[in-house]
Amino acid sequence: MFIRTLAFLLGAAWVAVASAGQPERSAIQILTYAQQPSWDAPWRFDAVRAQGGSGFVIKGKRIMTNAHVVSWGRQIIVRRYQDPRPYVAEVQYIGHDCDLAVLTVADERFFEGIEPLELGGLPEVRSTVITYGYPAGGEEISYTRGVVSRIELEPYSHAGNRQFLSVQTDAAINPGNSGGPVIQEGRVAGVAFQNIPSLQGAGFFIPVPVIEHFLKDIADGHYDGFPYTGIRMVTLQNLDYRRFLKLPDDGLGARVDGLLPIPETQQVLKPDDVILRIGTYPVASDGTILYESNRLSAALAFQFAQVGESFPLQIWREGKAMEVSLPARAYDGDRTSGYQHDTLPRYFVYGGLVFTPLSFDYLRALGASVSEPANRELYYELYYRRFEAPESVRPEPIVLTSVLADAVNANLKIRGRMLVDQINGVRIEKLEDVARAFEANTNTVDVIQFLPHNVFECLDRGEVARANPQILKTYGIPKDRRL
Amino acid sequence: MIHPQFSTLPRLPGRKAQASLPAASRRPQGSMLTRLTRSGALLFCMLSALLFVPTAPLRAQALKKSAFRAWERSIVTIEVARRDYDYYQPWVKRTQRLQKTGLVANAREILTTADGMFDCTLVRVQKNGRGQWWTGEVTWIDYSANLALVTVADAGFWSELKPASFGASLPSSGALEILRWRDGNLENRSAEFTRFTVVEGQLSQINQVVLEADSEIQNVGWGEPIIANSHVVGIVRARENRTCIATPASVVQAILEARRKGQFHGLGHFPFVWQPADNPAVLAYLKLPGPPRGVVIIDVPPRQDGCEAVLKPRDILLSIDGFNLDVQGDYQDPEFGTLILESLSTRQKWAGDTMTMQLWREGKPMTVNYHLPKFEYTNSLVPAAAYDQEPEYLIAGGLVFQPLTGPYLKSWGAEWRSSAPFRLRHFDQDPASQDRPALVLLSQVLPDAYNIGYQELRSLVVDRVNGQRISRLSELRDALRKPLNGFHIIDFLPSDSLHRLVLGAGEPEREATQRVLKRYGIAEESCIVANVASKPEPTPSKK
Repeated sequence: MFIRTLAFLLGAAWVAVASAGQPERSAIQILTYAQQPSWDAPWRFDAVRAQGGSGFVIKGKRIMTNAHVVSWGRQIIVRRYQDPRPYVAEVQYIGHDCDLAVLTVADERFFEGIEPLELGGLPEVRSTVITYGYPAGGEEISYTRGVVSRIELEPYSHAGNRQFLSVQTDAAINPGNSGGPVIQEGRVAGVAFQNIPSLQGAGFFIPVPVIEHFLKDIADGHYDGFPYTGIRMVTLQNLDYRRFLKLPDDGLGARVDGLLPIPETQQVLKPDDVILRIGTYPVASDGTILYESNRLSAALAFQFAQVGESFPLQIWREGKAMEVSLPARAYDGDRTSGYQHDTLPRYFVYGGLVFTPLSFDYLRALGASVSEPANRELYYELYYRRFEAPESVRPEPIVLTSVLADAVNANLKIRGRMLVDQINGVRIEKLEDVARAFEANTNTVDVIQFLPHNVFECLDRGEVARANPQILKTYGIPKDRRL
Repeated sequence: MIHPQFSTLPRLPGRKAQASLPAASRRPQGSMLTRLTRSGALLFCMLSALLFVPTAPLRAQALKKSAFRAWERSIVTIEVARRDYDYYQPWVKRTQRLQKTGLVANAREILTTADGMFDCTLVRVQKNGRGQWWTGEVTWIDYSANLALVTVADAGFWSELKPASFGASLPSSGALEILRWRDGNLENRSAEFTRFTVVEGQLSQINQVVLEADSEIQNVGWGEPIIANSHVVGIVRARENRTCIATPASVVQAILEARRKGQFHGLGHFPFVWQPADNPAVLAYLKLPGPPRGVVIIDVPPRQDGCEAVLKPRDILLSIDGFNLDVQGDYQDPEFGTLILESLSTRQKWAGDTMTMQLWREGKPMTVNYHLPKFEYTNSLVPAAAYDQEPEYLIAGGLVFQPLTGPYLKSWGAEWRSSAPFRLRHFDQDPASQDRPALVLLSQVLPDAYNIGYQELRSLVVDRVNGQRISRLSELRDALRKPLNGFHIIDFLPSDSLHRLVLGAGEPEREATQRVLKRYGIAEESCIVANVASKPEPTPSKK
């Protein structure tokens, strides 16, 4: 899922003098000074890092770019084509799921003389596109030409756990190209956004349908995100299964094999329903739809509506076709299983014990690989429990990430990387429970119990109360909590 | 078991990979070299074995010549021909030969380790390191103890042979010797005692005391005796780097003695999980007065032998059979020194015996009788081993079903703990329960027109077939005999992959199965071992 790496530009460049009206005049160079938190020491930040990218002007005096170009930005500098002046930009809207962002520039002069680029359509495979951007390896704007190789749903690596329509091209897309326009016949065909380092000649751009969905979403002044139905659709090619469902052998229909616990979906669909049509798109038995001459995963059809709208579905249930309407909702119940952006990690520090929500970012910060047996409980909790034991799912599993050495906790054997089960008898469902369980305790001892096997540790409350201020001071923790 | 977070117990990694090597590494044999293997590492090892040239000359300097000659009459070579299975293709049958060392222990009894003796088809014994091979017979084997006894029916074999003498004490110098036959001569290599410690067995997960000795000797771990003062002080069962790991002679003797008296019913173990008590706040919370001592019980899985669990989470375990435990879980063993408490589960007590435990529970002392449970591989949801049993499978319409077992997981290679599918590995340490004593997998699909649409499926854990809960292949076979309205409905345990598939039952399924067997060259459509009792037998208990 995370094999793709994001593209970043490291260098900065500017050259003076404007020129005539060409797409490059609308292409923007972006330099972001970003600062990410340390997920395993969540009160701390990593060093400020300059990350570069590209963008382009769209109508309404705005700049479109990738979300990953401006994520965690502390300051964003934008530059026009062949203009020496740096301008400060702000993020107006950002969609981390679809890796798109819109920036504004307070200084009106920035947009003077720049024609906004118009959006085109989905390019055809084998057609030619040109990328414009400021990739690494030089300071001037760079152009690369390539062929549209294929169009598919691809994982978007910025969030890591969502797939959207994506176009693959052999035009070189390198770190720094991110956010730049991909042009066909003078119009925007997409936003360059990722590549696969192990594959030469495979760059990817975000095509217009995804861009338009994003722009329509923010038109009301708020970004809701793409709808997510939580349906696991599987192929229905085995003839016996079709006979079992009394479904004709006509190559139509994908089967609902499972549903995530999303109430809106569960009220409408059941396992073994067969989805015959989504909106106007007939669904084939291999789980695809035909979209602008491309055979694509039917999951795409669940991305056309805006949150708040609904999908008219034709389904097959108990031997009959029927029409249902599935509300389009955004879902963030799985946000911790992907990369999180622009929201600082929550934590609570008590007696040198650092508690934080379990997340993929946390595991990555630890360098905790899924193949290490020591991490298996953490991975199970993050990726499997909600499928396998939904009754025991905690809304926000909490880990003891580390123990900040101090006399008060010197006798503890547990030093971190453990899932918290209970504190002072309170089942820990989310971070607020940790603070409450410690603060409401009236005994002289705090008891912290972990998973699995009920391992527990005790702390003397009086000693912790005395030690807490000094621990925060010693380790430079501005506040004992971010809830 | 100590909670893994605190564990200092070493495992013996990669031991199974070594298990198929001893013959090749000592005396390469044609059949070994042509053996196909899925493991490149194994192949590499075997090729290296070809290049192996014995460089170590015989060194008898430490043993006086006459004493040395005496050992020639007590040490024999055992050759085992055994079945060697490929759990990825459980219908494939291969054989393997290996050689190991035996020790004449009693009249007409040869002692060796159980390692390498499982699934054996022929045992032969050779004395004097050369000449005739005599057909032997395994008279007793215990995989939990990693010991076996072999006999030879032919009286002629026993002439000139003499039982070895066992001793318990080690020389103060720590100088030991390891003996075995090699190329017709008795090889004598020096070793240096390092320590007694407790490690997990290589054939079971029982933690047992071992003697560790440092030696240059290569390719040992196959029943070679360790000698001191003309007595056997240990039987080598494994080697890691330069460390030879041996079962101490007194442990061997105690087991053999109990067996002779009919009191040995297998090794027991402590299935409860404990944590050290070296945090004074924990002992204060549990209201233990006086000096810090004992360990804290944290998890007590239900007993599978019908006995009462006796222990409870948050009991402080203070002593076992009069041996006081310190806060690290160590006790003073009169013979071996400081050892971790797990050693007491095998110290002169066997499965079914009663132990006395002193506890501190809810602020009060108490004494309980603890019936030592027998170690059974089937206590685990994923049994770590299934010795002397052909791999089970069932093929229905090209769908291959297999039990999820340790050997199946190990078919991912020596690094299976990180390379086998995550979800399957995660079951590995779960206990078996009444509800779900074992797991059955759809391991792969052999392509046929009948199973189109399912051919990419791999490693899915079966939950129900035709509405029946499935824990064993025999249950699956029975459920397939009762299709629902002409269909088989196979539900998998909910996970991140497929939940259900449906196939037609009856004639098309039978035809598909026959086509698949023929096309893929498989002789039998199933191998199902007689149903394992769904409830394990109660541990025999002694009053």
